[in-house]
Order: sequence, then structure tokens, then C-alpha cells
Amino acid sequence: MKLTIDHETVYRYDDIVSHSTQYLRLTPANSGHQRIISWQLDLPGVASEGVDAFGNILHVLTLDTPHSEIRLKARGVVETSDGWAEQPETLPAPVFLRDSPLTEASDAIRTLAAAHADAIAANPQAGLTALMHAVADAMPYTTDMTHTGTTAAQALALGAGVCQDHSHVFIAACRSLGLPARYVSGYLLSDRDTHVASHAWAEVYAADSWLGFDISNRQQPDRHHLKLAVGLDYSDASPVRGVRRGGGSEALQTHARVSEADQ
Amino acid sequence: MHALTLPESGHYDEMLLDSGGIRPHYRDFARWLHSQPPETLARKRAEADLMFHRVGITFAVYGDDSGAERLIPFDTVPRIIPASDWQTLEKGMRQRVTALNAFLHDIYHEQHIVKAGLIPAEQVFSNSQYQPAMQGLDLPHRIYAHITGVDVIRHSDGNFYVLEDNLRVPSGVSYMLENRKMMMRLFPELFASHAVAPVQHYPTLLLNTLRHASAVDNPTVVVMTPGHHNSAYFEHAFLAQQMGVELVEGQDLFVKNHRVYMRTTAGNKQVDVIYRRIDDAFLDPLAFRGDSMLGVPGLLSVYRAGGVILANAIGTGVADDKSIYPYVPDMIRFYLSEEPLLQNVPTWMCRRPAELDHVLNNLHELVVKEVHGAGGYGMLIGPAASTAEIEDFRQRIIADPNNYIAQPTLCLSSCPTFVESGIAPRHIDLRPFVLSGRDITMVAGGLTRVALKEGSLVVNSSQGGGTKDTWILEDQS
Amino acid sequence: MMLSRTASQLYWMSRYMERAENLARLLDVTHSLSLLPQSRGGSDITAALATTGALEACRARHPQLYAGDVMHFMTFDAANPASIVNCLKYARENAHAVRGKITGEMWESINASWLEARQMALEGRPLAGFFDWVKERSHLFRGTTYGTIQRNDAFSFVRLGTFMERADNTARLINVKSHLVGNEAEDSAADFYLWGALLRSLGAFEAYHELYRDTLSSRRVAELLILRPDVPRSLRACVDEIAELLPRIKGDTGHRAKRLAATLHAEMSYGQIDSILDDGLHTYLTQFLSQIHGLGDAIHGAYLEAA
Repeated sequence: MKLTIDHETVYRYDDIVSHSTQYLRLTPANSGHQRIISWQLDLPGVASEGVDAFGNILHVLTLDTPHSEIRLKARGVVETSDGWAEQPETLPAPVFLRDSPLTEASDAIRTLAAAHADAIAANPQAGLTALMHAVADAMPYTTDMTHTGTTAAQALALGAGVCQDHSHVFIAACRSLGLPARYVSGYLLSDRDTHVASHAWAEVYAADSWLGFDISNRQQPDRHHLKLAVGLDYSDASPVRGVRRGGGSEALQTHARVSEADQ
Repeated sequence: MHALTLPESGHYDEMLLDSGGIRPHYRDFARWLHSQPPETLARKRAEADLMFHRVGITFAVYGDDSGAERLIPFDTVPRIIPASDWQTLEKGMRQRVTALNAFLHDIYHEQHIVKAGLIPAEQVFSNSQYQPAMQGLDLPHRIYAHITGVDVIRHSDGNFYVLEDNLRVPSGVSYMLENRKMMMRLFPELFASHAVAPVQHYPTLLLNTLRHASAVDNPTVVVMTPGHHNSAYFEHAFLAQQMGVELVEGQDLFVKNHRVYMRTTAGNKQVDVIYRRIDDAFLDPLAFRGDSMLGVPGLLSVYRAGGVILANAIGTGVADDKSIYPYVPDMIRFYLSEEPLLQNVPTWMCRRPAELDHVLNNLHELVVKEVHGAGGYGMLIGPAASTAEIEDFRQRIIADPNNYIAQPTLCLSSCPTFVESGIAPRHIDLRPFVLSGRDITMVAGGLTRVALKEGSLVVNSSQGGGTKDTWILEDQS
Repeated sequence: MMLSRTASQLYWMSRYMERAENLARLLDVTHSLSLLPQSRGGSDITAALATTGALEACRARHPQLYAGDVMHFMTFDAANPASIVNCLKYARENAHAVRGKITGEMWESINASWLEARQMALEGRPLAGFFDWVKERSHLFRGTTYGTIQRNDAFSFVRLGTFMERADNTARLINVKSHLVGNEAEDSAADFYLWGALLRSLGAFEAYHELYRDTLSSRRVAELLILRPDVPRSLRACVDEIAELLPRIKGDTGHRAKRLAATLHAEMSYGQIDSILDDGLHTYLTQFLSQIHGLGDAIHGAYLEAA
């Protein structure tokens, strides 16, 4: 199916920012699952394009004249399918076994995972699906309880979270079982809730392939999902990450709209 | 006139034979030492202390608000190595560093050594020192570790053994240079009577190595420091000054259009090679630790795009990790089809059940180290430990065997050293520095560290170690 | 060419050293005045504090503003960022960060100053001796700089710091007394001590007598301290140095700073004390300070924090 994406991120600062640098992962890559028909970034300066450690398309934006606002727009049309055909992997899967600051396992996470160890060993797809439901049950989707810096352990202890937290807990649980797991940021076309167009899910390496799990929606990612970036956790795959000089406090506004393109 | 005392039996002494005689390469020095009145030598030592303070060769002590700086004790008895020993060492280190660079290129590309089953995949790839950002990246001349410090010791059998490799940001070379300068100033007559190989051209060799690391003609090289609160700041400033390049901090640099620039009084200037004395995790707050303000936002993206050279490369730590160390002899055989010229210290990996058993049954005579530990911390020296300490460590090893390796307690060789009571044998090690550029180059020498406490085997400056000038005697033939 | 951060640290190193000296001069004179029978005691100390901008901070700590407390606050108090000991500390911290860019002798003199000052603070050294010591250390630092460092950009930024700070300090010092400048006939006996004190604090007492060979008059004191190019702490002397230093710095990022300095220099070269006094001394000095601060900002923007 064809998806139209319209994503705007605006940072506003109390004071003048003299210099800022942003890492932008706002451009999806072609794969067996998704084909980019058109895509464009509208940025307040010239960005240099590259590929990051995890194979994501990365734009680096440096603004070196005083500014008090940064407005980033991404829009385009992408054709998606239900399949997630194998794509060439740049990194050996064991890389995704390591802990990251946001996905360090707590005893609670290890306990949650251990209950599913045998089932996963017997049948990875079924066992991991059960683990996905267990995570979603343990922390019902709740906004405003967590923030982008909340760790997996903290979110599980709170018993609440959003897609980012679900994914972190699920990833930490998989790694504690010795399964490589990674974080995926992307977009989701949803008729249930228009607020979650910006989305996150997880992928686990089991039985020699990467399997996707959208924990918040308790499903396999399908043609409604569009992949932007992967990483060890949110901080590797986040669409925008920046550092600035000056500026005081900031206010962030994002709008992401995903709709089905006209046939 | 000084009495020279032999070490406890079982140690190799660099100057004295078991019979009490003097080894041939120390004879001239011993004769000279014998002829010096103790007052003269005491005065020279005081002079050395004063001069080191004046030059400012000190290292900052962490957590001391008053800005206190401490002098690393300098001993005036040189550590002398005959040319024949040095040739063995030098060849061995060239071989070792060549293999380590080949290993780094391999694991960040095709991973032949893993596929050949010589090293388990997860030991490389889930090691936190393996940097995903390096995977598939082609570096000029395939050099990862431009500067390597190899720590070697001489065992009671008289042979040299490699204790560890330092491929991240090895330090100590400024002491090698300043110790030599000091000795030449205090005892010029000794240099007239001994053919000591020079070391003072090290900064020139280093600059050549750094320049060669870049494909750019006449590249702009800088030294990057975490700042003057860092314990090795003196060395950073010293090397920058000796090479005649800028000493920068992260805040002096910024990236734009796949290039790195430094902010100067004459505008922005492009930087081509960064000799960084700052760990991987602090290089780029947008890619690594977000709470670090020591680095340069965006640096990793420029590095990956080939717009700047970092020396050493990112991710070299995976090759000097203590969990990888036991495999170095295999690397030499695998990549070079040669037998290792320098021995590794036999190492038991607690991650292997059989070896773990051996370690747990012999804790009282082994040295146990944390895989990621450094600076002499997080280690157990069995023969010197109390029963309680051994039991405490036993529990720690059982709880996380992957985190430990064990080695036999080595008899570090000793060298006569000035102590309060006169001259006494103290244990020493040696860190030569290997530069990988167009060729592998080394100056004949290195940093000799000495454990000043009687019987101690810990030479680290953070734990009461001192340094000595290291003389490689050139053949007089 | 040098790193902007390095230039900034060199510049602030010498600014703090100069600030310590000026503070010592100001407090020394205030201290001696307070020993005179005609002294107005507390009011002088308040005035001295006002020039440094530390009056409110001091009042918060010592509401009564007793002379002894104020003196301690401004000299040895480690909790007061504007105290002499802290100026020496900041000078030393900046020097430490650029140790590779200054000579060993410069570093030693500035490091020893801080170490000794810290010791004196612990011992509670008598003030008069302390002020002389601070001045000597500042002389030593300047002399060492002059005698040992290569004449490159580093030298220019060190000197620039000295004269920017001195211009600011001298102007503030005169400004505090500016309301007393008026008709010569009205100069009172008490004012005689004040003008004498001002001249002494700026080391210009002998110069006054050498140049005017006459009793103290507020008009001549103002002329001497503002317009005479041959009095080393006068505003004119400072601006002469600054205007000469800026064009020597390599690179072409500093147009604005150079233009501002040249303008100020021209204004002062052709300035006349009568027209300054007609407009009002306070007005003049306030404008001068704002020009110096504007120049400071331009120097920062061009050289010290270039983006």
C-alpha cells in the first residue's frame, strides 16, 4: 500500500542559540518491505548525508549562525508490503546482544523473560509472541508517565509506558535470554489512534532471521509500518538528536501524519 | 659508595648476577656508581625533583579541589638493556602490532578469524569495545592503532613476556622523554661513557606517523585533550608543543559539510588528523555518551565519511581487552603465518569451565584480573592476599566468571633503585611505544616503571609507582 | 593564528592579574585613608566596593559593612568571586590551561602568586604588606611576560587583556569621584585627601607633581588620569596600547574591534578636558565605559569565541 508521510519537528528556544548540530534520521531506506517513491527534507540549513553505524540514513545539520528556532520537515510517499524480506545486514547479529544505557536488564526484566525461555527455545515465533503479550500486559499503554530518557527497568517498575518503553523492555528481556534484539523507529498508519503516527517497535534475531514485534499493538509489523532507523535503543535510532550552545530551555513540538495515498 | 643487595632468590635482577657479580652491560655504570659520594647523588636527586616541579611534569590528582599535582617519583638508576635483548623485543613488538592491526581490520570487515573458529563471535561482537560504527569502514593503509604501548616484563627465566597491549590512548611517552633529558642534565659524563640509543626524536616520528595517516597533502594535525583536569594533561600539552601542533579540546572543534574545523583567532581552520587522547565514549555526544561535553557533536559522522582521521581509530579497544589478549599468539599465526617472537603470559579464561576450576583451586598463587579493569585496580594478587580477600574474590569470580582472567604470579625482574635506606632492588616493567605509519617505527627505549614499595609488583603511578630512564646500549663493535 | 579558546585564556589570565593589582591599589589607598583623622571612614569603603561591583554581595554577607569585614571580604575571602585571592586563582587557572603557550617563567610567577596568596589567606597576613606584595607580583608577571615571551599573537592577547582591564578599572575609579569634580574654588581640604588618594591608587601622584608643579585641583587630576598619554594608568595610555595591539593580530576577523578601537583612540587623542567637564565627567566616563565594553564584546566576538 502507498503511505503519505508528513512529519514536522519544531524546537523553540528561550534564548539565542549560537551554534547547534543535529543528527537526523528522518529518511527511510529502500528494502524488501518498503520502496521510497518520493521523499524530501525541508531543513533550515545545508545538511550532509551519510550512513550511520547501524546502516541508517543520517543527515548532519550544523547551524552556525544565531537562531532561536529549528524547524525540520520530512515528507514523502512510500509503498509498503506485509513482508519483511531479508535485507543485507551490515552488522553481525551478536552486536545486538550488548546492553545499552536504556536497555539494561533489571531482575524484574530477567524474571519476566525467564518465564518464556523454554517456549522461545522450542518455537521462537510463538514464544516471542507470548513474551510480547506479557510485556504489553505488564505495562499498559499510558502517555505522560515516562519520557525519552526513561530506562527499560524504570518503565517496567512503573507498570506503564508508550511504544518506546514497551520496545526497551522487550529488547532487554530478549538480550537477557541471549537473543540479539534491536530498536526500530518508524511511522505507523493507524485508524485507531491518530496520535501515534511516530512509532517504535522491536526486532529479535532468532532462528537465523530478524523477527519484528510491535509490542504496543500486540502484532507483527506489516504494511502499515514504515521503518526509519534501527539501533541498540532509542538514542541510536531517534529521528532527531542534537547538541547546542546557548538557548536556555527549549520547547519541542512534533506533528507526524501518516495517511494512505490516493490510488 | 653504595652496597648493592641482591633481590630475594627467584627473581631476575637487571644488574646483578645470582653470584653477586655485575652483568656485563652494567659494569661501567656500577663502577661509576661506586665512585660517587652518596651526598653528590642525593643532591642530584633533589635537583631532579626541583626541575621536574619547575617544568611541571606532574599529574593531576582526581578529586582534589585545591588543584594539587603530584610528581611521579623519578629514580636516577637507569634501567639498562643490552642491544641483543632489544633486538628481540623490537622484532617481537613489530610482529605483534602488525598482527593486532590486521586483526582489527579483519573483525571490522570480513571477520575471517571468527569464521575460522579461532575466536568465538560473541566474544568479539558483544564486547562493548567493538564499535559497530567501524564495521565496513575502510581506513587509509588499514591502520587502526597508530600508537601502541606494549607492556612487557622480564620473568625469572630471563625472558620477556607481554603483559598487555595498549591500543586505545597509551600514555607515558612524555616521561620517557623527560627522564632522558633529566639524566643527560644530571649525569652528562655517563652519556660520554655509554653508547645510549637516543629517544628524543620520538615527537618527529609521531608527527610523521600522524601525517601519513591522512591521504591529504600536508594535513593539519592536532592533539585533542579532555582538558587540563585530565591526569595526563601534561603529556598532551607536551606532545603538542614538541610536534608544533595545536592542543585542542572538544569545544574548539565543530563539524560542517563532512569536515572538522577548529575555531581560531584568524577564523575557522580545517583539521585533517586528530591525535585524540580521549576515550571512544566521549568523542561525539550525538553518537556515544550524550552526557559528555568533552567531545565534538557530529565527529563520528565526519569520521565515517572519511573527512577526518582519528589516531588511534575508534574501536581499537576490542583488540587489547584482557578477554582478547590470550588470542594474540593465534592472531600472529593466523595473519602472518609466523610463530610469536614474544611470549604471552599464560592466561586462564574463567569463562571456560575447566579453566575456571583450575583458577578457583589455585587462587592463592594466581593473579586474577577483571577483563575490563585497568590501572592495577580490580585485581587479586593471590600470594600477597589474605584468606578473606581470596574468599571475597572467589565469590566475585563465581558470580560472573566471564569478567575474569587469571595468570600465574610473575616474577617481575628487579633493578637497583634509590630508596630511603640506600639502594635496593625494586620490581620493574617496560612500556615501549610502537608507531604504525608508512612503516612501523620505534625509538630504542621506552618507559620503565618501578614499584617503589619493597616486594610490590604494582608499578602503576596511581598506586605508588615511579619511573626510570631506559637505556638501550648500542653495540660498540 | 591561535585557538580562540587559547586566546581567551591568555586574555583573561592577564585581565585577572591586572584586576588583582587594581583592587590592591584601590584597597590600599582606602585602607590608608581610613587611618587619617579626617577620614570619612565607612563611606570610603562603600565607595571602593561600589567600583568593583561587589557592594551588594558584601552587604549580604556583612550588613554593617565594618571596615575590617569589608577588607577581608575583598582580599582573602574565598567565597567572594571578586576577592583578590580569587582573581589570582582565576589568573592561575587560565594560565594552567595555556601552559604550553606561555613561557615557563610566566607560569612559575603566576603559579607561585596563587600558592603564596592562598598561604597568606590562611595565615591572615597584615593588609598593608599584602597590597604591596600583590602589586609586586603583578609587576613581576608583566615584566616576565615582557622579558620572556615571543612577540606573537599570544603576546598581543596577554597585553590586550592588561589594558582592557586597566582602562575599565581606571574609568570606574575616577567615576566614583566624578561628582566631586567641579569649580576649583570649591575643592575642599577633605577633597585634597581624596584626590591625593586617587592619584596614589593609580600610581600617578608623583607624575602629577612632576607635570603640574602645583597643588591638587580636580580639573587637573581628571585631565591627567583621562587624557595624558604619558601616565601609564591613564585612560589615554590604555587606549593607545589597545589601538596599537589590535592591528598586529593576524587574520581578518576583527574589523569591527579594530574600527571601534581606532575611533576611541582618535576621540581621545583630540579630547580636551574642558569640553569633557562641560558635558559632565560622569556622563563622559559612563560613555567611555560603554565604549570599552562594546570593544570588549567585539574582541570576544572576533577572536575569543569565534563560531
